[in-house]
This record gives sequence, C-alpha cells and structure tokens, in this order.
Amino acid sequence: MSQPSQTSQHNEDKPVYPAVNYLNADRGVKSWLLTLDHKRIGVMYLMSVLVMFLLGGIFAMAIRLELLTPEPTIMGANTYNRMFTLHGVVMIFLFMIPAIPGVFGNFCMPLMLGAKDVAFPKLNLLSLYLYWTGAILALTAMLMGGVDTGWTFYAPYSTTTPMTVFPALLGVFILGFSSIVTGLNFIVTIHTLRAPGLTWMRMQLFVWAIYATSIIQVLATPVIGLTVMLVGIEKVGGFGLFDATKGGDPVLFQHMFWFYSHPAVYIMVLPSMGVVSDAIAAFARKNVFGYKMIAYSSLGIAFVGFFAWGHHMFTSGQSPFDNGAFAVISMFVGVFTAIKVFNWVGTLYRGAILVSAPFIYICGFLFFVVFGGMTGIAVATVSLDVHWHDTYFVVAHFHFIMVGAVIMGFLIAIHYWFPKMFGRKYHEGWGMVAASFIVLGFIATFIPQFLVGNAGMPRRYYMYPERFQAMNVASTAGSTLLAFGFIIIAIYLIYALMRGEIAGDNPWNSRGIEWMTTSPPSKGNFDKPLVVTQDPHSYQKPGEEVEHVVI
Amino acid sequence: MSSSDGHAHNPNLAHHFDTIEKQDYAARLGMWLFLGTEVLLFAGLFLGYTVYRHFYHDAFHHCSRALNIGLGTINTLVLITSSLFVALAYWGVKVGRIKLALGMLVLTILCAAGFLFIKYLEYSHKFHVGELPGKWFRAEELMKYPGANMYFTIYFLTTGLHAFHVIVGMSVLIWVGLRIWKGKYTPDYYVPVELGALYWHLVDLVWIFLFPLLYLI
Amino acid sequence: MADATTQAAHSKAGHHDHGTKRYFIVWGILLICTVLTVWTGYKDLGSLNLPLALVIATFKATLVILFFMHMTESAATNRIVFVTSFVFMLVMIFGVFGDLWTRSQMSLPNHVPSTEGPEIPVFEGGSLPPPGHHE
Repeated sequence: MSQPSQTSQHNEDKPVYPAVNYLNADRGVKSWLLTLDHKRIGVMYLMSVLVMFLLGGIFAMAIRLELLTPEPTIMGANTYNRMFTLHGVVMIFLFMIPAIPGVFGNFCMPLMLGAKDVAFPKLNLLSLYLYWTGAILALTAMLMGGVDTGWTFYAPYSTTTPMTVFPALLGVFILGFSSIVTGLNFIVTIHTLRAPGLTWMRMQLFVWAIYATSIIQVLATPVIGLTVMLVGIEKVGGFGLFDATKGGDPVLFQHMFWFYSHPAVYIMVLPSMGVVSDAIAAFARKNVFGYKMIAYSSLGIAFVGFFAWGHHMFTSGQSPFDNGAFAVISMFVGVFTAIKVFNWVGTLYRGAILVSAPFIYICGFLFFVVFGGMTGIAVATVSLDVHWHDTYFVVAHFHFIMVGAVIMGFLIAIHYWFPKMFGRKYHEGWGMVAASFIVLGFIATFIPQFLVGNAGMPRRYYMYPERFQAMNVASTAGSTLLAFGFIIIAIYLIYALMRGEIAGDNPWNSRGIEWMTTSPPSKGNFDKPLVVTQDPHSYQKPGEEVEHVVI
Repeated sequence: MSSSDGHAHNPNLAHHFDTIEKQDYAARLGMWLFLGTEVLLFAGLFLGYTVYRHFYHDAFHHCSRALNIGLGTINTLVLITSSLFVALAYWGVKVGRIKLALGMLVLTILCAAGFLFIKYLEYSHKFHVGELPGKWFRAEELMKYPGANMYFTIYFLTTGLHAFHVIVGMSVLIWVGLRIWKGKYTPDYYVPVELGALYWHLVDLVWIFLFPLLYLI
Repeated sequence: MADATTQAAHSKAGHHDHGTKRYFIVWGILLICTVLTVWTGYKDLGSLNLPLALVIATFKATLVILFFMHMTESAATNRIVFVTSFVFMLVMIFGVFGDLWTRSQMSLPNHVPSTEGPEIPVFEGGSLPPPGHHE
C-alpha cells in the first residue's frame, strides 16, 4: 500500500506545521531570487500570474463596461481596440499559458514523481526570469500607448499600425522561450527523475497532462517565436514577407500564427484537465475510472491538436479543400475530450463526494467543458462558422473553455493544493460562496454572448446595434458577479496564508504522492528516498467498497 | 543522497540525480529536445520559402542564378569540414587526447569564421547591386520578374537566422574549449562537449538544406 | 529506466571507442554528395531538379545525424524527439501548401479555371425575394 508519510498522521492527531520547510529554509530576498528550488519557483510564478490575471481582468471589466451601451460609453474606438488586445495578450501569454504548468507543474509535479527537483533547476529559474522579462516588455508596450491589433497580431495591420507593436512582439517572443524551457525541463524530468517503482502507468494523471502539455510547448512555440519575429522585422525593416504590395501573402501569417496558437489552447486546457483528473479522484474518494484512457487521451489531444489550425481561417481565403480537411480533423479532438468527460463522470458515480469549493468548481468545469467543447464542434463546421466567425458566438465558445475549463481548473488546483503549498486551510464556507458566485457569474456572463453572437453581433466592436443591448447588459452584470467572486477568493486566501487553520500533511486524505510528505514540504521534498508500490489514485483495492469517511 | 554509500562521487553530479549516468542521459535528452525546437524555428522560414517559390517560380529561378554558386559551394564544404573537426574534437576528449581535441576545436571555430567571412562577401555584393529584401530591393535586371524581392527577403531571413546560429555556435564552442583547456572535461565527464558539438552539427544540417534550396533551383 | 541503464553499461564498458575512421568516411561521402548536388543543379532536369536536390540533401543530413551526431548510439527517446520535430515541420509545410495548391484549382474536371466571374442566374419578373427579407 502507500508509503507512510514522514510524520505518519492519522486523522485524530493534531495537524502539525513543520517548523522548518521550503518557505523558511533560507532567508532573504536573494535566497528567493536565486533559488533553485522548484517549489519556490512555483510560488513566485503563482504571485506573478495572479498579478497578471488581475491586470487582464481589469481590461476585461473595461471592455464589459464599454459594452453596456450601444454608443461609446467610457472610451473611444482606438482605446477599445487597445483594451481587447491587451486583455487577450495579458490573459493568454501572461496567465493562461504559464499558469498551471508554471505554478502547479513546478510545485507539484516533482513531488508527484518522488523527485528532489526538476531535471534542470537553473533552466527552471531562467524560465521564470524570461517570464518576468516578457511581462515587463508587455507592460512597456502598454505604457507606450498600447497595442491595437488584437492578440492575434494579424498582418498587414500589425506591420503597418502606428502603435508600439514591437515591444509587445518582443515580449511574446521571450515568453515563448520561457514556455519552451519549462516544457523541455518537464519532459526530461518525467523521463529521468521518477522514483524507483514509479512506472509510467503508475504516474498520477496530472503528470500525464503536464507531459502532453510540455510536448506541445516544445514543438509549437518555436513557430510563434519565429512568426512574431518576422512581423517585428517587417515592421522595423520593411521586409514585406506578409505584405501584399510587395508580393507577400497575409494568409501565410495566419497559417504560421495559428500553427502555434491552436495547439496553444491545448497547452492551456490540458493541465487544467490533469488537475481535474487528480481532484475528482480525491473529492469522490474513488479510483479513477479508465485511468489509461484518460492518460492516452491527453497524448491524443496533443497530437491531433497540431493538425487542426486551419479552422481559425475558414473565412480567410483558405482553399475549400483545406477548409474541409481542417474541419474534419478538428472534430477528432472532441473524441478525446469526450473520452475524458465520460471517465470523469464514471469516477464520480457512486463516489463518496466531499462537497467543498473544489467540488463546486469540478461541477462547473464538467458542465462548461462539455458546453464549450460542443460549441467547438459547432464552430468547426465550416458552413456554420461562416455565419459565426468573428461574432460573439466564437468569443463565448472560447471563453467557455478558457474560463469555464481552464480557470475552473486553476481554481481547483489552487484550493486543492493550497494546504500542500502553505500548510494552512482556507475557509471552506467562504470558498463555497465564492465558487457559487464564480460558476453562476460565469454562466450569466457568457451564455448571453452565445445568443448575441448568433444574432450577429461582431466581436471587437465597441458599438453595436441597439437590439443587442439587453444581452450585453446581462453579460456585464454576470461579469461583475464573476469579478466579485474572485475578490472574495483573494480575500480569504490571503487571510488563510496568514491565519489559516493548520492543515497537517494530508487534510484531504488524498492518495497523491505529493501528499506523502509534510505540508509545506521541506526543501529536499522527501526526507527518505521513496519507493513507489501503489497504483495511482488508488482509494480502494479492487472489489473493495468506497469508504465514506468524514473529513 | 547516497553520499554515505562509499561510491566515488563524480564531482559533476547534481544533488537531485541518483547517478551520473542518469544525469548525462537527461542532459542529452534535454539537448535533443532543444535541437528539435531549433528545427521548428527554421521550419517557419522553410515554409515561407515553399510558399513563395510556389507563387514566384520564375523569379526564384532567375534570382538564384544571381547568387555565387562557387562561394556557396565553398561555404558548404567549409561547414561540412567543420562538422568533421568538431566530431573529432568530441572524440578527442572522450579518449583523453585533450591537445588534439583543442586543436580540432580551434579548426572548427576557424571554419566558422571562414563561413561568416564568405557570407560577408556575398552580402556586401548584394548590398552593392541592390539585391535586397522587401522595400530595399533595387536590382534592375531582376525587377522584371514579379516576386524577385521576395526571393531576397527569404534569402536574407534564412541565411541571416542561420548566421546568427553560427555565431551562437561559435560562442558555445569557444566556451567549451576554454573549459576543456582548464581541465574540466575529461574522459570521465565530457557530456557538455557532446552537447556543444550537437549544436554545431545542427547548424551544419540547416545549411545542408539551405544551400540547394537557395543556390541550385 | 531501461534507457539510462543501457547508457550506463556503455560508458562503464570503456566508451565503445569506434575510432575516427567512420568520421572521415562520412566526410568524404558528404563532399562527394555536395559536388554531385552542384553538378545536377547545373543540369536542367525540369521539375525533377528540386526533388533530386532535396533527396541528396536529405541523404547528407541523415549521414550527419546518424554518424556525426551519434544517433546510431543514442537512446530511442532522443531519436523519437528529433524525428518528431521534422515530422511536424512537414505537417506545417504540407498543410499550408495544401491550401495554396488547391486555392485556385477547385474547379470542375476538364474545366480550365477562368478569369471571368461566376455565372449569376438572372430572374425574370417578380420572382426575386423582396429586399430586407432576412429577419
């Protein structure tokens, strides 16, 4: 069975907070800025991405406020263009892509492998510094007047706009390297630093998800690096690769851009699905249904996701042949996601559910990933997308996945692993209140956007016909509820950091290997070398009944 | 871990790896992954080449004639030979012939410098004649072919990115050479030399494809 | 892990020293191939020129990868990694090329793509739907 944790704890014992742990093992700012400890790097990533999330959220609220009325409400057209561009750039490149791998991949994954650190700790620190550099460059672009091209930087506008695109492009380029370095590090870690006895089929599903994500990061990100570099060169040097007046092809930019940016959405969603796989097992106290299928479907999504990029270009002038091919291939991704959903639900079935904030997020996640995924299949249908392209229907679809799946996953992760990272519990009552706000607020924000998009409201427009106003007001009201939920979370988590109840090693009684050491862990992770003999997420022996434990 | 088991510790072993063999394996895997990312970085430019050669077949053919095949061939031979030298340097460290290894590294770096010098000759000729990318294109004999400027855009982007990698590769090899000279790399621990050599071979690989695509079409 | 232990066996067993002969042989072949590719480049073989040049280049690249980069002795994972990157490069190139190649050629069989506009059916009388009908 499972290895005993270093301070073998039963539920009746008083939870212990280890006096010396990774947080206080070394003191001083330098010990943090020059750390090689993956846990500290994870914490620094956490603080950074949360600041970026706040920034992106402010841009989002600005957008929603502007869209309260059909006429200009609080800003003009140029400012609005900058708002949605920066919302996209900050949210995607500075939050969604780095968040779960950078925070929880870094913190939890080596623990889940029974390792002492990642394969290349110095590269890990480098990836954090590259992230900060990219963030500073993006902020510089904002302070220099902002970018108005949309986060997609389509040529020829991005190569000819008078706005300061170059710092933003350079920032994206450097953030790409941060992502590549992280992915490379994680792949090598998973291949080489698994504890004795931890075979591939005994790894937790979060690790499988991180592995699949890292493969995408390594293969796809260089292409966006080159693409933004080419746009920058064209802007500064007049090289004309995408400029039709010089014989270039703007659609080529779109091909190159989306070759990365479609797999990028799987970089965002796969880690979140991995979190959910781990958490569902823990919060249903049940062995994962279909472990192998979930593991392989992560790889499947990573693989098929590379062949589907043209579905962003159905109306760009791409040939009908390619349109059809990309449409069909895009449908296949749905198969793998569906496999996961069935297996998750199968895990929940007859489980001993622990109703808690993470569980509310899990429920939200399941609903949103199905809804978002199904609308994804819908927009992958060429004949329908011709109507929906560049409308709010698409916006709603991807927010269902980006917020409804990815951010729910992030919230699950932060609540599930908060006790592991900081040794304290957050207040569960407030957690559930906030979770309800978030789930309901999310529905209120984005369902109206499906309706208004289908009715024809274009995206990235700051003015719209009057008949769309009711839905826009509803969406803004929902977004306010959503923002309120996040504020509540911020308050109780900060409070918990300082004054939360001591959690003890394993407050959730989870079977994850990361819980087999102290919370917070010591600097070296495990006091004694670990030998793994248990199956992953094993809450019952085969044939054993689910135990209904009161925690 | 395991420092108490009496096993002679390789001083290069990091604390989070159990054995030096695992660490070396990890280093190699990391390097191959990095080389994979470099392939995909150049892939975008090869894509650009494919697209524009398809659109402007005629222009590409005639512009390619404007390149100096002699210099291009010499450059190819220089890079292939530099690859040989760096492979010999790696072998030298592996079997303990450090002086040979250092000599081979110096030859590699000289080849790289030679490559860059010939590239400089080619570039300056193009500047002179106006065979330049994008809006700078002003070569009169080639203007009658629509899309000629696109050829030179691709030419400068691909060879420019390649030359940048040559410079990076040279720097890496110089650094590796200094470390060998200081005695840090020996037959007991030579993985960094291997990694540096791998990077140099990638630079050679890219040129093996660039040469026919740019000069011989 | 299986791969690390095989690697360990290799290095412990005295570095499997192949000597330098294979490097020189490969170098010689690469030089010959370079001369060959320049020579065939001068000949006009029509549409065969580019595929031939690519075949020779791929052969040269394979030699460099297998022998100079020691892929014959590498762990399987490393081989998979590197080959995969090439595969995805080809995916990108052929996916985009598929678009270009079929963009202007989606015409009926035996039908030469014309530069005229499509045929627009002309309605006689009042059978056209009234304007602004849509909502």
